[in-house]
Amino acid sequence: MHTSYVLRRLLQIIPLFLAVMVLVFTLVHLIPGDPVSTLLGDRATPDIVARANKELGLDKPLLVQFGLFVNQLLHGNLGESINLKIPVLRLIGERLPVTLFLTVYAAVLGVLMAVPLAVLAAVRRNTWVDALIRAVFQVGLSLPVFYVALQLLTLLGARLGWFPIGGYGENFGEHLFHLFLPALTLGLNLAAILVRTLRNSIIEVLTAEYVDFARAKGLRSRVIMTRHVLRNALIATVTLLGLNIGALIGGAVITETVFAIPGVGRLMVDAIFGRDYPVIQGLTLMFALIVSLVFLATDLIHARLDPRAELS
Amino acid sequence: MNVKRMSRIALSLAAALTVGQAFAATRGGQMTFGRYADSLFLDPVLNDANLDIWILTNLYDTLLQPTADGKGVQPGLASAYSLSKDGKTVSLTLRSGIKFADGSPITAADVKWSLDRARNPDNGAWVGLVGSIASVAASGNKVTVTLKKPDPSIIPALATFNTGIMPQKLFNAAPGKNDAEKAKAFAEKPIGSGPFVLSEWKRGSYMVLKRNPYYWKMGDDKKALPYLDTLRFEIIPDDNTRILKLQAGELQGAEFIPLSRVAELKKDPKINMVLFPSTKVNDIIMNNRPKLKDGSANPLSDVRVRQALNYAVNRDALIQLVTFGTGKPMKSFMSSGTPLFDPAQKGFNYDPEKAKALLKAAGYANGIEVTSMATSGSADDQALLTALQQMWGAVGIKLKIEQLDAATKTARYRANDFQMRTGAWTDDIADPSEITGYYAVNGDTEAAHTGFTDPAIEKLFIQSQQETDKTKRAAQYRQIQTLYAAASPTIFLFETPYAVALLNNVKGFNQIPLGNNIFEATWLAK
Repeated sequence: MHTSYVLRRLLQIIPLFLAVMVLVFTLVHLIPGDPVSTLLGDRATPDIVARANKELGLDKPLLVQFGLFVNQLLHGNLGESINLKIPVLRLIGERLPVTLFLTVYAAVLGVLMAVPLAVLAAVRRNTWVDALIRAVFQVGLSLPVFYVALQLLTLLGARLGWFPIGGYGENFGEHLFHLFLPALTLGLNLAAILVRTLRNSIIEVLTAEYVDFARAKGLRSRVIMTRHVLRNALIATVTLLGLNIGALIGGAVITETVFAIPGVGRLMVDAIFGRDYPVIQGLTLMFALIVSLVFLATDLIHARLDPRAELS
Repeated sequence: MNVKRMSRIALSLAAALTVGQAFAATRGGQMTFGRYADSLFLDPVLNDANLDIWILTNLYDTLLQPTADGKGVQPGLASAYSLSKDGKTVSLTLRSGIKFADGSPITAADVKWSLDRARNPDNGAWVGLVGSIASVAASGNKVTVTLKKPDPSIIPALATFNTGIMPQKLFNAAPGKNDAEKAKAFAEKPIGSGPFVLSEWKRGSYMVLKRNPYYWKMGDDKKALPYLDTLRFEIIPDDNTRILKLQAGELQGAEFIPLSRVAELKKDPKINMVLFPSTKVNDIIMNNRPKLKDGSANPLSDVRVRQALNYAVNRDALIQLVTFGTGKPMKSFMSSGTPLFDPAQKGFNYDPEKAKALLKAAGYANGIEVTSMATSGSADDQALLTALQQMWGAVGIKLKIEQLDAATKTARYRANDFQMRTGAWTDDIADPSEITGYYAVNGDTEAAHTGFTDPAIEKLFIQSQQETDKTKRAAQYRQIQTLYAAASPTIFLFETPYAVALLNNVKGFNQIPLGNNIFEATWLAK
């Protein structure tokens, strides 16, 4: 389907990628502080700092460093972490699956919570059920992620002992188990965003003429809901979900720290604090790529759901 | 002696006693220990951070070892050592039958190669600790270290992580074109002769160490240490999560317990909350130069102002506010756990009237305004500087706080672009020369970047670096501490312990004042 459209969109990622590359390189070198003196700390003499900078090529003019960076990229190499002394690609390869697992898990939990509750709120609109659902999620939306995370940990982890406190586990089953609380934390936040939009879309669709027509045909309300209402109401929600995947990866930064999950979010925080330039650059480029691809996927799904949307 | 100090002594005694249990330890099992961050690079010579140093001693062994109180030295891979009369030659005898964790023998050649690597000026930040070595010779089980000049810190240097003995053959067999590349490859799967050997490392998540079956040291049961089969480090950056995991029994120990939680954990019947004595000091570092980086005049260049700031600090109140009663006031720029610390130092008592008089004498009767950099997000810095704001405000000193992330703060003070900053230090070697070289001497780091210099201290320091007579050296350090306090280039505040929470069944764990985590005699009671 629409191969040329997908190709064109993929090609559009290239200039975006270039812009991000220039921007992130400039930004990381503009912020005060450098990796070597941060890493070596108090005890390092200027001589040792200078030698380390030379070894890492950080003493070269910025333009030369940028040239080397681009050259590396063209060879599919993101450089080596200054602090950890291992290749950035390997680091990302180790950490990215963890964050993606968490993100997808959170998205699934978020949707699983949001859809039935939005349907319930819409069907019972303006009753106490509707008010309660909306109020709960409104509160959920305004609570900081780290607070929700800690409360869940304390209650479901420490007090009741139902879930492990942090960690990632070693196999798929353990991942599901270990990541349940963090995914729930992020999922709740996502559900709070989705419920409101989805509820409003459902109400809008429910009052549409084709739904009246379907009712008149004598279709059962469950069939109407799944085949006609939800399919149409989900259009806006899918876009919103797509837009929020980026935010979800961003939200993983805090969640990964609280729940001790070795994902790219925590890697990014450590890299920024340590001014680990190659890691910051590599991760930013990867984030840009993922977000671009998610947006493309969102558009494609949107087109599938809504034949009126033109892919051009 | 007040109650608090007595309880601290009792605690350190308890800690010391758990190390030297007389009754039989249980062998086997796994201990899981929660760390606040992961190690970066496990090479004894090329590493950069405490996160590495404090773990390295479990993997690599040194010729000598620091004692449990961190002040002295005891035999390690070398069973005997002696320093020649002229103080320029160290003779060491290697234990017989010692092996690396892969079973290959440790030879005198490995020792020579390791020490030569540690003192190679191209190799990292720790070269200075062994800078006095002129050559190393090895034959049979004898190792001779010849010095360029007498160096009283050479013995403790041979007990410091960077002189850890590595297997030359295995290192050279590691993939890589040059030493730096080989070091990277080797550090991912290091083989040393410490009590444990790295078996798995999932960066940012966990590290598994297995007992080294060839370790030379014997336990109380006359069998080789360590007692534990496995030691697992879990990386849990969030303080609350680390504590929750301990309380839930998922960890048997957790480090870096915030001092604000110590009292609460002490009440938990399942937990043994230990405050290990440390060499950690907390201070305010001042720029002593007449002009600040922006060209404005700096009142802190006047010694009377610096003394006034010191007198206007109520250290006992700070200890309650910032360390929740766990700290101890400082009387010198070095910790009381540093060898040759002079217990007779008076330090600064809290005397706001004297502070006011000194300010007036310096021509600041109407007060001054100063700015201190703080690490953003640090609850301790926030509490400390807010309390100082109050104390100094009472004598007419207005304190402005500038919050910066750690890297920016470091860049600023390394460029001398600051007026005041919060600072902290821990010793890496059981000798006073390291901290003195950094704080008091205007060398490469310009006395902790203060710009302070005192010709008398400089002279005494050079003498002390070659003084092999213990009494004379102690007198030199006594004088350095007195001169330093009078000149007050920094505001020394309080010492803080290492707060480690253990489950009650954990026995024999020790964190020495230099920070090293010692698990070799740790065991889990049934």
